Amino acid sequence: MPQFFTNKRLIILLGSIILLVAMIGFSLRDRDNITWPEKFVKDVTGFGQNIVSKPAGVVESFFDDVRRLHLTYEENEKLRTHLEELAQLESDVARLEKDNAELRKVLEKEKSLADYEPVQATVIARNPDRWYEVITIDQGESNGIEPDMAVMTASGLIGKVQSTSKFTSTVQLLSARDSQNRVSVLIQGKATIYGLIEGYDEEKKMLQMTKIPSDSKVTKGQAVTTSGLGGVFPKGLVIGTVTELVPDEFGLTQTALVQPAASFYDLEHVMVSKREMTSILPEEEDRQQVLIEEEGL
Amino acid sequence: MKKALLPLLVVVLFYSDSVFMIFFSEQAFDGAYVPVPRFFFIGLLFMSVFFDRNTAIKYGFFFGFLFDMFYTGLLGAYFFFLPLLVYTTSKLTKWLHSTLPVFFVIILFDIALLEMMIYGLNVLVQRTALSFEQFAYVRLLATLVLNGLFYIVFAIPLRNAFLRLKKVFD
Repeated sequence: MPQFFTNKRLIILLGSIILLVAMIGFSLRDRDNITWPEKFVKDVTGFGQNIVSKPAGVVESFFDDVRRLHLTYEENEKLRTHLEELAQLESDVARLEKDNAELRKVLEKEKSLADYEPVQATVIARNPDRWYEVITIDQGESNGIEPDMAVMTASGLIGKVQSTSKFTSTVQLLSARDSQNRVSVLIQGKATIYGLIEGYDEEKKMLQMTKIPSDSKVTKGQAVTTSGLGGVFPKGLVIGTVTELVPDEFGLTQTALVQPAASFYDLEHVMVSKREMTSILPEEEDRQQVLIEEEGL
Repeated sequence: MKKALLPLLVVVLFYSDSVFMIFFSEQAFDGAYVPVPRFFFIGLLFMSVFFDRNTAIKYGFFFGFLFDMFYTGLLGAYFFFLPLLVYTTSKLTKWLHSTLPVFFVIILFDIALLEMMIYGLNVLVQRTALSFEQFAYVRLLATLVLNGLFYIVFAIPLRNAFLRLKKVFD
């Protein structure tokens, strides 16, 4: 049997194992954004990816349209009924928005946690090895995207920007398994209930909302939205609806399973929301949780 | 001029994985099976056997690095495993005759090995909670079937392409 590893090769092997461990440690480190060589590589690779994936996306959506063609009639009927309600809704929204702006002026509070500027983006790649729930979009620093911005589709929040380069950014989905993947949320009801979206149940395909006080009453079907308290996401982005409530392992808090409103699969177009108000100046009634942080400083 | 065809072919193979993911619905089989395209890896193994081993290792380093940076963000994984597997495959094919059916088995073995190493790494850095049985059933089998199909369709064109390129370089 020929010798599998000569001395020289053994040294190369050991050297690269050390390099491997070092690089993995480097990339797992808690860091704000990637380094400039990584950004450069991402831009170059992203340029090629753009060229490849844009035509492929067009062909794919063409086939999708053809597949949907036979559903057109039913869809049309459904949309027509919605349309009648829409006119009323639109005038209501316009009136309320105007009211809101006027009242804000009276209060001298022009900005709110809910304000954001959406930036349209197209998904150019999804990790082909399908281990990490990350997607790459075609907008980057040159369009004002920064790490930690909220990313959503028309139906709700899907994740946040993990890292950016000049012309692309990487988005971590809510379903990604990462201990730092947390969103401060609230359940809308008679009394507002706060909690955290933390983790994803792979089998049930549900998000887990933890840290709900054990005495609060949550009912099935209540809407879950972002609270704007984390300092990252704007307030009021839809996440999903509560489907089940279970006590946690120590019985001190409760965990709710939340059916996500937006699909995390087969994403094509997304919006990145640039939050306008970045300093934390909470509303009077929302203040308690933030005060603790301020005292700590 | 014809020498530029080699990097071009490799780049096409590199992007083919993600292009496949654009066409392939992620919710196929209701998420019960997760086939992973490894077309670039298959191309790399063809290169190592029918073109030149050392060139394949260099390409493995370079494109493994790109893959890590652009798609996964976990630096070092493919950068290390791709050249390693190319090397072991070239050793294996020296002992076994590399006819296409034998090579089919070798490639499936390599893909299974790559999947398991990547799975092991993910368990190690706690990016997954999948048990090994689940992994084998949900991911490994589906991946082997998908890439097996790819091999059956593209084995002869890939082999011919690399043999022709070898003539150009010689």
